[in-house]
Amino acid sequence: MKSQKWFLLTSFLIMASMILGACGQVTPTAAPTTAPLQTEAPVATEAPTEAPTEAPAGTPADTIIIGTTDKIASFDPADAYSARDWELIKNINEGLLKWKPGTSDELMPALAAGMPEISADGLTYTFTLRDGIKFGDGADLTAQIYADSINRLLTVGPTCPNGVADALATPYLASVEAPDSKTIVFTLKAPVAYFLQILASATYTPANPNNFPADKCELFPAAPIYGTGPWFISQYTQGEQIVLEPNPYYTGTLPAQVKRIIVRDFADPQTEALAIQNGEIDIAWRFLGPELFAQLQSVAGITASTINGGSIRYLILNHTKAPADDPNVVKAIASAVDRNEIADTVFGGQVNPIYSMVPPGFLGASESFDTMYASPNLDKAKEYLAASGYTEANPLQLEMWYPPEHYGAATAAWMQVIQKQMEATGAIKVTLQSQEWSTYVAALTGGEAYAVGVLGWFYDYPDPSNYLDPFVYNGGLGTNVSLAKEGTDYGEPINDKAQQLLDLMTQADIETDLTKRADLYKQVQDIYADLVVTVPLFLNPEYMVFRDNIHGSDHYATPETLNIAGTIEFNYSTLTKTP
Amino acid sequence: MTPITLIALLIGVPAFLLLTYVFIHGSAGLRHYILTRVGLTLPMVFILATLVFFVMRVLPGDPVSSALGPKGTPEMLARIRTQLGLNDPLIVQYSRFLGDMVTLHFGNSLMGGHRPIVDEMSERFPATLELVIPASIFALVIGIWGGTLAASRRKRATDYALRIYSVIIYSLPIFWLGLMLQLLFGVQLNILPISGRIDPVIGTTIKHITNLYAVDALITGNWPAFGSVAQHLVLPTITLGLILSGVFVRMTRINVIETLQADYIAAARARGIREHVLVFGHALKNAMIPVITLIGLQVAILLAGAVLTETVFSWPGMGSYLVERISSRDYTAVQSVITVFALLVALISLAVDVVYSLVDPRVRY
Repeated sequence: MKSQKWFLLTSFLIMASMILGACGQVTPTAAPTTAPLQTEAPVATEAPTEAPTEAPAGTPADTIIIGTTDKIASFDPADAYSARDWELIKNINEGLLKWKPGTSDELMPALAAGMPEISADGLTYTFTLRDGIKFGDGADLTAQIYADSINRLLTVGPTCPNGVADALATPYLASVEAPDSKTIVFTLKAPVAYFLQILASATYTPANPNNFPADKCELFPAAPIYGTGPWFISQYTQGEQIVLEPNPYYTGTLPAQVKRIIVRDFADPQTEALAIQNGEIDIAWRFLGPELFAQLQSVAGITASTINGGSIRYLILNHTKAPADDPNVVKAIASAVDRNEIADTVFGGQVNPIYSMVPPGFLGASESFDTMYASPNLDKAKEYLAASGYTEANPLQLEMWYPPEHYGAATAAWMQVIQKQMEATGAIKVTLQSQEWSTYVAALTGGEAYAVGVLGWFYDYPDPSNYLDPFVYNGGLGTNVSLAKEGTDYGEPINDKAQQLLDLMTQADIETDLTKRADLYKQVQDIYADLVVTVPLFLNPEYMVFRDNIHGSDHYATPETLNIAGTIEFNYSTLTKTP
Repeated sequence: MTPITLIALLIGVPAFLLLTYVFIHGSAGLRHYILTRVGLTLPMVFILATLVFFVMRVLPGDPVSSALGPKGTPEMLARIRTQLGLNDPLIVQYSRFLGDMVTLHFGNSLMGGHRPIVDEMSERFPATLELVIPASIFALVIGIWGGTLAASRRKRATDYALRIYSVIIYSLPIFWLGLMLQLLFGVQLNILPISGRIDPVIGTTIKHITNLYAVDALITGNWPAFGSVAQHLVLPTITLGLILSGVFVRMTRINVIETLQADYIAAARARGIREHVLVFGHALKNAMIPVITLIGLQVAILLAGAVLTETVFSWPGMGSYLVERISSRDYTAVQSVITVFALLVALISLAVDVVYSLVDPRVRY
């Protein structure tokens, strides 16, 4: 009898809890007490759309909940270097320049009053700050505070635990100075054609001295965290959620349209997909895979779209290790691969094949691999193989490596497709090998272990140089075509063509005339394809799924993807919600 | 005081009082037993911690290259490894690890935000505890009730049905059961939340004291938060509880059957005592002794993280934390968490043995 009573009691408690929960839709506490009153906030200069007033089913009308499986690593601009960190930083902070929402090639002033004056030698960039810029806690942003923040990046950045953000500053900056309260002067070590693109990154947003001490990194300062952007972080719980509320002192062009944004962490994309179906979240953002995306496309009340961002997948070939040290072998691989088959059979046509490391739409992007190899071209592949003595009777034994989970569960499937394509030549016998990420990446990038593997790349700044430099000269630290050489920026090219490639790229890096620069990159891509430094495969799309009552701004391009373009910049301020 | 300290006190103080009570009032044999077990626990934990420390370093890959991926240049990798002390001789790293363990500082994580492990455990452990307690209660209620019912109706339809239930439920993949419950109650019927510990909006109102959200909500009288926490607990509790209940049904059934065959039960039956009083009042009490051992061990294992349940329900507990950190080669986090759990399992095991001696007077140490 006692156990029966317990059972009844437990059932009653569960039911009572559910009833309590159902009654429990309350309005949460307001912004932290340190936040100034909304009435003190200046009026925004441009409000894209009107804020909604009624609540839709699911989440409250004044709140948009974004789900993600991406992990947060740092809020400190001197340390942060991941897409998730940058997305948050750029919503709570603005730099001197930013990408116009919905575009990936149009920079606009943010903290700056206008575009900079650039000296004739390309070494000095002079900016003037807009009037009345304040951090969210009411503190003024002066040119000196901005300059101190960038100098903090140069001095403190290298000591930060993640330790790589200063790579966007140290190689380029000679000095940053504030001659008066409004003027900021960057002096470069050498001309850099893409310096404005770098300036638009989260790394160049000012760190609020009240949150981030001058002499050390502060990856997770206590909330509230204030910047110069449209939002501030009012609270966060690691591994659960980050809450953003409108910055009352924001005077820029993208003021917040809803009362609150909550970014919720998910451990599993499957759960994230279910959560958008039942209305627990409004937006399912990175990372839904192609299978979940396909499932969600048919769900009523949900918009599912893809964004062709800058994330690519490619085969990496170790030119110093057999058999990838044989030019005929790498050309045979480039000739045999069929990108369309991968896109169609594994991804249902949702990924775009690429024929250069520089994705379409970027300055100077060409299709050099298509022009040169017209793959799949099995006859040509066989010719290359035969030239090195590989035939059906004496096939090339090729080990291809991949990480089974890091780039999604579909990796094994598309590696098997590549295996089949290589073996269709009749003169290659492929052995697929997989290894979990931490082991794999250490072995692959160390250059010792594998001849052929697969990797992904996501740009640091949206410029063709960032899709080529790291694979060709990598600051003299060694690549497939340039051996590491101490004291040099470009290493030791492995042959004459590699030398020619380096020469053209160093010219392109400093060429400010866009037409000439585009021409240089076209030549670079041709030589790159001829050398088969790597084999670009496809552009990995970002999957964006949102409920039908969530809208992007019609004032900017691509509202159908919530104004996210190839830069993958997600401005929460363009979001509105209707009943 | 951090939440993890508060929880350690909440668990540790009653456990200490229990052990002290038993130590003072127990037999000389029991006192000797407790002393021996405590004495053995420390070297056991030390050996385990040492093994974990060296095994983690023998594995290929390291946290820095894992985090930086292809963007990590040799210069960056070397610099960060030096900053994190990974280039120090192994003996220096080991000494540092032992020092961190003894001072209960545990060091900082090697990945992500490089936060103190004690802070991360303060967030994750309460989440696991909050899931494991109701799931264990749920499993016990179903398991003991079902096992006793099956035993009392031995070789009848109810018995067969419950035996089949126990086998099927225990062999179901937990992620599949969780997914089915999510689809049914979360998506189709849309009456229960499918992820997280609390509604995100209500979650902004909760005051973090112990990080046990139900407790924090009760302490502060935040009833909507309490209701939301309870709602969010329903599906993961049922998922984990149902899976666990299978083994409890079988264990209880077999022990109640054995007890029902004892002479004193036959004597009681001969005196005309009603069957349900016999079963629930007499047999069950004695049959519970082996079940207590099982409960203790199961709870201890679950505290180390119900990995799949936490993943399916995006429950930010220890299980998902440990898996995430193992795959990133976060040495500090993995070795600290495993050491803490070894300690926890040893203490719970000791507590179960002591309780065993209190429940069953026949047990002598």
